[in-house]
Amino acid sequence: MKNETVERKYLPEMPRKEMDELRNTVKTASQKIIADNIEHMKKADPHRPEAMKYFDEMADLFGKRQKEIAAEKEKGKKVIGYLCLFAPTELIMAADAIPVRVNSGWYDTSKLGDRVVPVEVCPVIRSTIGAKMIELSPFLEQSDALISVLTCDGMTKLGEILGDTKIVWGMNIPRIKDSTQSLRFWNDEIKHMKTQIETFTGNKITRKNLKEAIETSHRATKAFRRLQELRKGNPVIMGRDAMLVNQAYTWDDKKRWTEKTEVLCDELEKRAQRKDWVCSPDTPRVMVTGTPMFWPDNWKLPTLVEEGNPQGIIVADEQCSGERILNDPIGVDEWSMDDMLNAMSERYLMASTCPCFTSKDGNEDRINWLLNKVKEWKIQGVIYYVVRGCMLYAMEYTRVKKALDKINVPVYYLDTEYTREDVGQMKTRVEAFLEMLNARIDI
Amino acid sequence: MITVGMDLGTQRVQVVVLKDGKIVGRALAMSGFDPTKAAEQAVNEALEQANLKLSNVNHFAATGSALDMAPYANSKVSMMGADAKAAVFLVPKARTIIDVGAEEARAVKCDEKGVMVDFVLNERCAAGAGAFIEAMARALEVKMEDMGPLALKAERASPINASCVIFGESDVVSLIHRQESKPEIARAVYDAMADRVSAMVHRLGINPEVVLVGGVAKDPGFVVSLNRKLGINVVIPEDPEYVGALGAALIAATRVKEDPK
Repeated sequence: MKNETVERKYLPEMPRKEMDELRNTVKTASQKIIADNIEHMKKADPHRPEAMKYFDEMADLFGKRQKEIAAEKEKGKKVIGYLCLFAPTELIMAADAIPVRVNSGWYDTSKLGDRVVPVEVCPVIRSTIGAKMIELSPFLEQSDALISVLTCDGMTKLGEILGDTKIVWGMNIPRIKDSTQSLRFWNDEIKHMKTQIETFTGNKITRKNLKEAIETSHRATKAFRRLQELRKGNPVIMGRDAMLVNQAYTWDDKKRWTEKTEVLCDELEKRAQRKDWVCSPDTPRVMVTGTPMFWPDNWKLPTLVEEGNPQGIIVADEQCSGERILNDPIGVDEWSMDDMLNAMSERYLMASTCPCFTSKDGNEDRINWLLNKVKEWKIQGVIYYVVRGCMLYAMEYTRVKKALDKINVPVYYLDTEYTREDVGQMKTRVEAFLEMLNARIDI
Repeated sequence: MITVGMDLGTQRVQVVVLKDGKIVGRALAMSGFDPTKAAEQAVNEALEQANLKLSNVNHFAATGSALDMAPYANSKVSMMGADAKAAVFLVPKARTIIDVGAEEARAVKCDEKGVMVDFVLNERCAAGAGAFIEAMARALEVKMEDMGPLALKAERASPINASCVIFGESDVVSLIHRQESKPEIARAVYDAMADRVSAMVHRLGINPEVVLVGGVAKDPGFVVSLNRKLGINVVIPEDPEYVGALGAALIAATRVKEDPK
């Protein structure tokens, strides 16, 4: 509920009529983009798994899932949105509320965000602000409260800006990972969040319902990891399809997502037995790392790679919009409340490879993730994807490049914006990189 | 075996005709509004020089930023791949190639066979490319081809910060207002460009020999500034603006061998 008497600190007051017109224009464009993206993905794989139908339906951000959440809200359920993967979603589920990620992937709304913050700011932030200005994002609008985690500079201020119209809870993530005081501090943040969620929803988080929520996450993680395992061998799924499945977890019903992903994996296993590959097994195997890529508009890079001439296939990523979502399970020893909260703190802090961290050896965990992926998923080239204004990823590039140079894996730094205008330039770059990978494979 | 390489750049189209590894014809045309037509003209001119007809050609390969508009193309080659191949053909010890064209600068690392192993481009900014010189020549009211010789007369450097063409121009205007001499300002322009290009090359790493190609390689003002920044003397092949087209023609020849029709 918006409190009209509170003075807005950031967001401009926009006449309702202008807001509605803008929203309708962007929404119509976005629905077309969603349909186009899905159409492209269907064409890319002539034997596309049947199970993808479900995820195609989930991909419509203005469709079924929005209606489901609306119906749950009618029944009194609360929706708690979050802006970073550090938000402890198990606490939200345990309190019988719905967790949903609300970062914006809409290109058009980033231009609206320019009215509030300068263009130098990362477009993920500007676009989310713009989406809020015209009430475009169904999940952001449905959120009764938001969890904002202070990771990068953009995220830190984004929470404050969205606070003009939403209840926002900040979580202070320590920047140094490998110290006991950091873990203690973060553990306190998690405990405080538990109290906040309980008070807000009016539902007590008990040992029993938290255990259930963690077990739901465990099952989802299992399905998630199974899908990534299937991408280790000759390609049985296009990268874009897997990326959509991975990301859909952040807005879908967790139990249903898990079931549907297991069904997809069954199908992919059979496909592997038939040796029915989505593309020639000697197609260059690419990993993407860097800035998150949010559905639906920001799908240009994976599309360029997988529809390029020469073609590439994305078999892995290291992104918080992708494989980082569910890679690591929460390691609970004893199911006491304290132990569960400790295990959650450790999982959310220690397992993350976000470049907001540093430690004695810098963000070594990220390097290890990348090196492990290269080895196990047989990556032949890495695309380091950065949007303008994404400082932490941009700065860590030098280190990542050095680490990959050492094992002789080429990496290409690709910087872009929330815009469709640079697709031609990006195509030149991506195709040159793929041509280079092919030349290396031939040798 | 006859192959043709076509380099469709933002300002010019270059064509090279290769017969059994030897250049037998080449031509240049302004891209203008219709790069396809410009390329057709250049191809016909180059073939005429070599006393050949379109039907004699085994393989056409296109490169350059407008390569999708190339006529006759049997295949395409990335600009970086073409640069590497041609540079090693012309300068066998070449391992780093810097290509500065009208709108773009790039650097390529390659192996002894001329296969690129890494590359980097100036990201979406013309301040490190030929268009910058052109804009600055306009501000100084001198002809573009006079900019280089002018800069060489400078007695000292007066730094400007060329983060982009637009800002660069306003920097140049303030130098004019400070009544700096034209040679000094011209040198400042080349130094700023060389700064950007050398930063880009340093990110890639410098493996000798370093070869400079592309239209701007013919500009003595830029070459002197770049050598000073890099602390080495770059090698410039004859007719550096044809390197892209030559690379495409060379790669076309390997493609004929792989897939003889």
